[in-house]
Amino acid sequence: MKRGNQWVVAALLTALALTAGGCATGMELIPVATIAAKGVTKAAAASRPISDSEEYYVGRAVGARILAQQSLRQDPELTRYVNEVGQAVARKSARPQTFRGYHFAVLETSETNALACPGGLIFITRGLLQTCETEDELAAVLAHEVAHVANKDGINSISQARWTEVLTAMGTEAAKQYGGVAGSLVSLFEGSIDDVFKTIVVNGYSRTAEEAADAAAVQTLKQAGYDPGAVASLLDKMMAKEKGASGGMFKTHPPTGERLSKVKALVGEAPAAGKEVAARTSRFKKIKI
Amino acid sequence: MIRASFLKKSTWLAVALAALLLAAGPGWAETLKVSQPNQQLYPDPDFSSTPLAPVPVGAEVTVQRQAGDWYKVDFQGKIGWIHRLAFPQAKAPSRFSLPSLLTGGAVKETTSDEVALAGKGFTPEVEAGYRQKHPEANFAMVDKVESFKVDEAQLKTFIQEGGLKP
Repeated sequence: MKRGNQWVVAALLTALALTAGGCATGMELIPVATIAAKGVTKAAAASRPISDSEEYYVGRAVGARILAQQSLRQDPELTRYVNEVGQAVARKSARPQTFRGYHFAVLETSETNALACPGGLIFITRGLLQTCETEDELAAVLAHEVAHVANKDGINSISQARWTEVLTAMGTEAAKQYGGVAGSLVSLFEGSIDDVFKTIVVNGYSRTAEEAADAAAVQTLKQAGYDPGAVASLLDKMMAKEKGASGGMFKTHPPTGERLSKVKALVGEAPAAGKEVAARTSRFKKIKI
Repeated sequence: MIRASFLKKSTWLAVALAALLLAAGPGWAETLKVSQPNQQLYPDPDFSSTPLAPVPVGAEVTVQRQAGDWYKVDFQGKIGWIHRLAFPQAKAPSRFSLPSLLTGGAVKETTSDEVALAGKGFTPEVEAGYRQKHPEANFAMVDKVESFKVDEAQLKTFIQEGGLKP
């Protein structure tokens, strides 16, 4: 009998201890101090890709840096239209969703360019919008930029060495001040923003990344019901405009004959222009750019 | 007499605890309703994996387990992952569940050191530190761009009128 009582009491105490532990910590099963201490070695050893939320914060900071130099076009009707076209292609892309979704905006500059920040902030300049003659060509630009986000071309500019340092710093900082703002992480974040900014604004993507984004844009336009030939017609216009031009898109997304012929081969027979194309072109013309 | 009454009390408590565990254990097979448009079922808890299928608004999914902000679910026989954004009504992820722990049921898998550190890289706190160092960075405009949204009905009309694929 006595042994039985002890068993019952022990079981109850164990259950209560577990319950109390859960209540006291609220969320954590492993004590914070233990994680922090182990973090030093674990994080240094761990190798993980950048997460969706981290990509989002990098993209926001890159966007904030771009918007420190360029102003936004303040036209609700134009902004809504560009976002409608953008969402129509993004949902048919290889990456229909991101951490906080795709958002499109127009930069108030005559320079011809489009920029994709990691995570889905996409900018098109007024100059490039004016180069587009149809909604399908605008869709081609946006599908190409969505492809850079989907392929993580911007975020992949963060050097592997820097990312390894981030993982190491996470452990070190966790040991010092778990949950606090980590100074070295801010510096590494700053460096990562520089890496991405240099690629998407200054130096441009690799030729391989550009061709992959073209191919993805052709595929996305087909999936969305847009004319995939718009990628080729836009490249044609860009090449014609390139004469004498050097900055902006001509530097970051250089239109070349090789790109054009590869796109034309992918498109194949373009569908004949129907009533729908006319409807799209008509609504495009109504938008004041 | 004293011993007998103590046994009675302990037995009752043990029975009550057992009943609580039995009730709580199988209850984890939670059903959630998707309330946000444009949601997808992913093969991995990662937005960059190629979606398995779209999950429409109103669809009910059975949660098998949770890892951070992702839910592993059964949607019409398809098993995959959905982000918490699909269910704004769902609670923030918890790393500890007493019923699961005691019954050996679906323990939420956010207990390893690596996972605990996974959300501690570039965070809102790091962004705040960056903003302090770079007051010229125009985050206000970024917030404005993030507010540009197209609602589902509006997009549907736009697609239809333009003869695009639904």
